[in-house]
Amino acid sequence: MLSIESLTVAYGGLTALVDVSVDVGEGQFIAIVGPNGAGKTTLFKAISGIVRPLSGSVTFDGKDLLAVPPAERAHLGIAHVPEGRQVFKSLTVLENLEMGAHAIRGRAEWKRNLAQIVELFPVLAERRDQLAGTLSGGEQQMLSIGRGLASSPRVLMLDEPSMGLAPTIADQIFERIEKIHRESKITILLVEQRVAEALESCDRGYVLESGRVVLEGVHDTLIRDERVKRAYLGM
Amino acid sequence: MRKGAQRVSGVLARGHLEAHHGAGGRRGEHVASTAAVATPSALGCARACLAALWGRVMPPLVVLENVLQALTAGLLMGSIYGLMCVGLGLIYGVMRVINFAQGDFLMLGMYATLYVFGWLELSQFLGPYLGPVVAALLGAVVLYGFGVVLHRTLLARVTGMRVVGTESEGHYPQLMLTLGMSLIIANGGLIAFGSMPQNIRTPLSASAWEIGPLIGHDLSVFLNKARSVGCIVSVLVALGLHLFISRSRLGKTLRAAADNPEAATYMGINVDTAYRVAFALGSALTAIAGGLVATYYPFQPYVGLEFVIIMYAGVVLGGFGSIVGAFWGGLTIGLVQQLSTLVLPVQLQNAAIFVVFLGIVLVRPEGLFGRNAERI
Amino acid sequence: MMPRTIGRDVGLISIVASVYLAASMLIDNQYYQLMLTLVPIWAILGIAWNVFSGYSGMVSFGHASFFGLGAYTVTLLFVKVDLSPWFGIPIGMVVGVIAGALIGWPTFRLRGHYFALAMLAYPLALLYIFEWLGYQEVSLPMKREAPAAFLQFKDYRWYVGIAVVMLVAAMASALKIERSRFGLSLLAIKQNEPAAEAAGINTRAWKMRAIMVSGAIAAGVGGFYAVVLLVVTPPSVFGMLTSAQALIVTLFGGVATVWGPVVGAAILIPLSEVLNAELGDKLPGIQGVVFGVAIVLVILLAPEGIVPHLREALRRRRGAHAGSAPATVVSAAVPQPPISTGHAHRTVSKEVVLTVERISRAFGGLQAVEDVSFDVHKGEVLGIIGPNGAGKTTLFNVLNGFIPPHAGRVAWANENLVGLRPNAICRRGIGRTFQVVRPFVRMTVLHNVVVGAFVAAPDDAKAIALAREALARVGMADRATVLAGRLTNVELRLMELGRALASRPQLLLLDEPLAGLGSQEVERMLAVLDALAKSGMTIVIIEHTMQAMVRLADRFVVLDHGRMLAQGKPEAVTKDPSVIEAYLGKRWMKHAQH
Repeated sequence: MLSIESLTVAYGGLTALVDVSVDVGEGQFIAIVGPNGAGKTTLFKAISGIVRPLSGSVTFDGKDLLAVPPAERAHLGIAHVPEGRQVFKSLTVLENLEMGAHAIRGRAEWKRNLAQIVELFPVLAERRDQLAGTLSGGEQQMLSIGRGLASSPRVLMLDEPSMGLAPTIADQIFERIEKIHRESKITILLVEQRVAEALESCDRGYVLESGRVVLEGVHDTLIRDERVKRAYLGM
Repeated sequence: MRKGAQRVSGVLARGHLEAHHGAGGRRGEHVASTAAVATPSALGCARACLAALWGRVMPPLVVLENVLQALTAGLLMGSIYGLMCVGLGLIYGVMRVINFAQGDFLMLGMYATLYVFGWLELSQFLGPYLGPVVAALLGAVVLYGFGVVLHRTLLARVTGMRVVGTESEGHYPQLMLTLGMSLIIANGGLIAFGSMPQNIRTPLSASAWEIGPLIGHDLSVFLNKARSVGCIVSVLVALGLHLFISRSRLGKTLRAAADNPEAATYMGINVDTAYRVAFALGSALTAIAGGLVATYYPFQPYVGLEFVIIMYAGVVLGGFGSIVGAFWGGLTIGLVQQLSTLVLPVQLQNAAIFVVFLGIVLVRPEGLFGRNAERI
Repeated sequence: MMPRTIGRDVGLISIVASVYLAASMLIDNQYYQLMLTLVPIWAILGIAWNVFSGYSGMVSFGHASFFGLGAYTVTLLFVKVDLSPWFGIPIGMVVGVIAGALIGWPTFRLRGHYFALAMLAYPLALLYIFEWLGYQEVSLPMKREAPAAFLQFKDYRWYVGIAVVMLVAAMASALKIERSRFGLSLLAIKQNEPAAEAAGINTRAWKMRAIMVSGAIAAGVGGFYAVVLLVVTPPSVFGMLTSAQALIVTLFGGVATVWGPVVGAAILIPLSEVLNAELGDKLPGIQGVVFGVAIVLVILLAPEGIVPHLREALRRRRGAHAGSAPATVVSAAVPQPPISTGHAHRTVSKEVVLTVERISRAFGGLQAVEDVSFDVHKGEVLGIIGPNGAGKTTLFNVLNGFIPPHAGRVAWANENLVGLRPNAICRRGIGRTFQVVRPFVRMTVLHNVVVGAFVAAPDDAKAIALAREALARVGMADRATVLAGRLTNVELRLMELGRALASRPQLLLLDEPLAGLGSQEVERMLAVLDALAKSGMTIVIIEHTMQAMVRLADRFVVLDHGRMLAQGKPEAVTKDPSVIEAYLGKRWMKHAQH
């Protein structure tokens, strides 16, 4: 469904991605792991159009995504839950979710989506009229994911949802993500530093290091692979 | 011999901010009490005491009247300033652009109102109350279109998502561009409209409602009719904008784009379009205020310079980033300006606004309501 | 700093000035003579603006303040005390210096937009004040006897001559400033103020110096302007258009260049004056339109100005002909990693040089760093590691003086560094690099690095020597004359390291020097760092690239959620379960046991 081929991106003066290829099939859960600075966020930015690649291609449903203006891509069904949450701090929780439903696909199904989001993350209903900037890190992450879901996405891209969160909260977030995948069958593309969580639920995973894919495989192979540990801890 | 020099210095802007004295404010004469001749009778004594007391009460009454007059004038004009500031505040709040040309949009609004009022003969059809107001609103529509064009052709090249990644030397291309726009519009206006001061003549400009007398035969407060109408319209429009921004979907989209342009793009919001709407709307709002001011204040193409500092002082006082704050900021500046007429000579009244402005910027840059104080 | 080209520039200035003077001697028409006087006047005001705003990047919309104060000083001294402008102008310049200090002191605390707006307010306030003081229109009296003693001449060509002399003087000062550490420090501030601070540049002091010099020049030329026009009104000297013209003339011609304001004035002033003369009756205000259009065009098409744009175009054409070295070549001379790299081949002394004691810092409700304590030994390489968001950069910012901690102290050479500004900390021997390198792209590597040497060398020649030495230490000596814009990633990083080394620090704080580098480049960097450590440099390094760190570092300090999780030798730390959990997650441990 989403196919990235030989993507090379320079960002902020550095070559962030070199010849990266990732294949995301419909309904799959794909994990991309790698140490900091490996280029994972840059990959998402390139898919969303914030950054233009130097070479390579990105196709969505067979169509060239790079030819689509960035603001249009959400309407095609690509939801990006950014690194660091990036909620609209000066808008309320409900307004944030409404912004998620700005995408055309989300508008028609607003009521249904809202009910689902609230079921997944009840705390959002409690805090619906609170300004998003006053929420805790975990709550903001839930809001950000909810915002992504509000667009009725075909693929949900999550960039390091556990970043900066206490381990127990991060665990909760992972559980919900798994639940979303199980129940709604949305295609998920997850980027994470917390390797185990990411690799545990995925169908297939990629390990990025210094902008390149150094390892790729199905869940079972990767989870026991010593090379992953080495990529992180150097031992 | 000196003509060249005159020509050179002549082109330089003459920005004289005139004091707005309360129209028709009555300044009572202080009547010195005559010391009563002491008479032995108690009544005579009482009368003498009363007379002496009255002599002491009179001056304060005059002062009180002047103060009340200044306060009301300040509230009336401050509301109109508030609307001007809301326009500027909207542009800054959404786009983070300091628009030097905002004063010139005010000026264009004044001229647009003048011409619409004249050509459509609105005074005939709608009367002196509604006529100018409708002209101002229609003029604002023209300014909205103008803002769209300006943004598309010029501003979009130095703001928006295109520029987000490339942090060149700060935001100075935007500042410079709006400075250039300001020069072109103000001087272009001089060419197009001529330098004769203009006015929108209605019977309202010179007449006032009297509230009072409140104490005995004294102490009345006069509300200039043109300004009062302007005040009401400004408050309504500002309120309307507030509702639009906070309740409507488009308003929320603007707020989202202002809050976090990158995340807004992820939501499918076209940030450039959002900026364009904000810019055009901000221009239109200031233009309405201009049209309202035009009903009581004579204007010429350089009038923008006189109001630029008022607008910036108001927005900074209210806090950059807060639209509600901008209104209150403008209102406060109006009050400061009018109250300063009580104590300061004409030229220094304008300096008073600067002092307030510099004071806020140096002491409390985030103003009353703002966040992001030192954000570049 | 660049003696050869100063000679060439001085030569060029002299030639142009002479030609201009000669040409103006031939002009008879008084109106054109006045115009020939105005071009240098506005060029000088542009240079004054440039010296401050152009080089430092702090945009001032208020140079009319200095211009007007100069004008009024000369005028009032003449009118009231009969003092000749020959004396009045220098006094005006002193007034300009004082005004610069008075305006700069409070206003420098502001940033960006607020600074520009505040600067805008000063001349307008002065305008109203002078009108209130009753100086709506002050004329300089005509002196019948000895007019020359009062700078009054019947023949305008004298004014042209004096104006040109003043312009040459202004250009010479600007040239001197640009080529000395004054100019480079200002440029460093413009490019990246925090990095400049960390490199030891006292940013506050330099900004004050710049505004004072700028004020002096602006006031001086304002005084001359008054003499030429013989009448001063507040709007003509304090008005918005005065500030705007200075700015536009410079931006149009070329910001942060000596010739920019001159070229800008030479084009725009005659253009607007002639148009005004010809069309002024039908199109009043044409002058303002010309300036407005000029700045709009320049911002859209050539944001740096005409002179840099042309220089760039020429350079590109020359480059295309000469076939210069492509930028992305991986240099053939990549050193093979010597077998003796790494901490295993170094011995670390027991002497503690830096003590970090219970440092805490919160932002809003988030505790970014909490109760962190560790020692750093002389000559060791200490790695600060931890997952994203662990507080590592905040810790560095505290150590470096950018943010104060809420609790704790940092002891270095028997002194608590808490409360000192970054440039003072640099002065005491602690250098720092930043993750995002922002070089002066159009300057050589040497010039980029020399900025770091100013704090260690009072004279410019010594600073250059230190810079060369630093470049040698990082293995970039052969790239010293290359333009920074042509460097590869790793070379940029090495240059940045060179800048930090130029101040001869005893301790280096390195923020992710390996981020984004390919494996060969990492090896090169590691070799350099290892060599530094071997030579006795103490290095504290934040990094994520674990394989490299494990070889290089003597010890690790692991942070997670602002707290210290572990510290010790790399082998021990990487086996520590809590560390593994922090990086890889709890579930990894579960799986790893199978």
